[in-house]
Amino acid sequence: MLIEQCAYNNHWRQVPPAAKALFTACGIVAAFVSRSPLTTCGLAGIMAAVTLAGAKVPPFRYLKVALPALLFLAVSAATLAVSVSWGGLPLRLQFQVVGQAEIAHIALTCSRSLCGIAALLFLSLTTSMTDIIALLRRLRFPEVMLDIMTLGYRTVFVFLEVIHDTRIAQMARLGYATPRLAMRSLGILTANLAIQVWQRSNALHQAALARNNDGPLIFLEGEYHRPIRSLITATVSGCALIALALVTI
Amino acid sequence: MKQQSVTPILELQGVSFRYPDGSVGLDSCSLSIERGSRLVVLGANGAGKTTLFLHLNGILRPQSGTVLYSGAPLDYGRQRLHELRSRIGLVFQNPDSQLFSASVREDVSFGPLNLGLEKQAVRERVEEALQAVGLTDYADKPVHNLSFGQKKRACIAGVLAMRPEVMVLDEPTAGLDVAMQLGLTQILERLHSEGMTIIIATHDIDFAYQWGDSTAILAKGNCAATWETPHIANSLEQFASHGLGVPRVAELHNLLVDGKVLERGKSLPRSHGELLRAIASLVE
Repeated sequence: MLIEQCAYNNHWRQVPPAAKALFTACGIVAAFVSRSPLTTCGLAGIMAAVTLAGAKVPPFRYLKVALPALLFLAVSAATLAVSVSWGGLPLRLQFQVVGQAEIAHIALTCSRSLCGIAALLFLSLTTSMTDIIALLRRLRFPEVMLDIMTLGYRTVFVFLEVIHDTRIAQMARLGYATPRLAMRSLGILTANLAIQVWQRSNALHQAALARNNDGPLIFLEGEYHRPIRSLITATVSGCALIALALVTI
Repeated sequence: MKQQSVTPILELQGVSFRYPDGSVGLDSCSLSIERGSRLVVLGANGAGKTTLFLHLNGILRPQSGTVLYSGAPLDYGRQRLHELRSRIGLVFQNPDSQLFSASVREDVSFGPLNLGLEKQAVRERVEEALQAVGLTDYADKPVHNLSFGQKKRACIAGVLAMRPEVMVLDEPTAGLDVAMQLGLTQILERLHSEGMTIIIATHDIDFAYQWGDSTAILAKGNCAATWETPHIANSLEQFASHGLGVPRVAELHNLLVDGKVLERGKSLPRSHGELLRAIASLVE
């Protein structure tokens, strides 16, 4: 929901998604062409600054969304840098830090991941899912994939509501009073959800038929402010990022 | 009881339908709907209201009997169904079953785009439909951020944008607060004044009495009776035999007439407000 809130309430909501996606793609390319961890971290910083200062995404929300990915990255970096094994007599845990050359390589890999995260956060926090799906449709993505994305995205919220209501109803009748009851309630909730999925999919099919649909799910695309100017700005800024990455090799 | 109509826009002749689990959806249901009229379908839960509506839109096919549109039996060929569904709009009871696009504007555009219209024409229709239901300011909002009443209005806009001749609404007032119900009634009133035929399923007998031109009673899949709504007040006992209760305004009005507080023969109040005005006029 945090991502949703940011995507619908940022200053660049009306900027064409194509421009934002282009800038994101350039950010990812820049991360991969860069050979210096410091430069790549700098690029990540630029992407984050653009998201925070340009699109005015609130810093606290940004951190909250970024935190799980950053934690995952930190754990990955630690496991790459330190190998843990059982060895010696008596048997004990051994920690071995990798060599200097490997450290440099790990730093580059992790900084690229960091820049990738920043680039994707830029796109996801400034662009709504509907805009992204519309963009993919224009890019001729397979219709089936887009239909699944559309329905999946919409039904996620419907099922969240169903889960919330069912869980509240179970809690009101002490469904989670003990671990054993909690397991039982969780099982019932899952079974109930499976039935709901079936019923809802049938209802959605009927609703689509009622509105004359017998093919792909087509929707009207949004209209955006100054699309050409935005695309030019995104191209220039994206190229600048790549150039920065190349220059500082 | 209602007199036989001359040129029905929709008609069911002895339609029966059973679901695969054996439950009865419709049982020899016959019903006639006049062009430009307001029909209310009253019935208990499981009486077959939704099944009836799915037949009107060609989503379900009768296992026996016939559904007629403008006097001709429905043709269930792809092209004919396409035409039928562009003329008969169906608004489902649960908005979450109907709204499957992420944003309001997108969802409203779904029907017109399925009609094969040009994008500019679709845009115009979408804006018009959103304006008609008062959702222009919510056009770019995600559907899951709307209130229940707003979702209902978005559903109506989605059907309105297809510019149907007939709008069929399955329990549109269910779950709405009084203000939302009033707003919805005003929208329906406007659509009807523009010539649209409107069919509504509801449990709300007072709403049916206030709003409908005629009222059909559905019981166990069968259309038990159809009433001209103003005539209900004169036959309350007979109407009550359907087991759905009676309109409170009509009941109270009859009591006031019997007690010689109000005069018989004057125009019948159909709503609480109209009855209050009739009483207030005595005080003045």
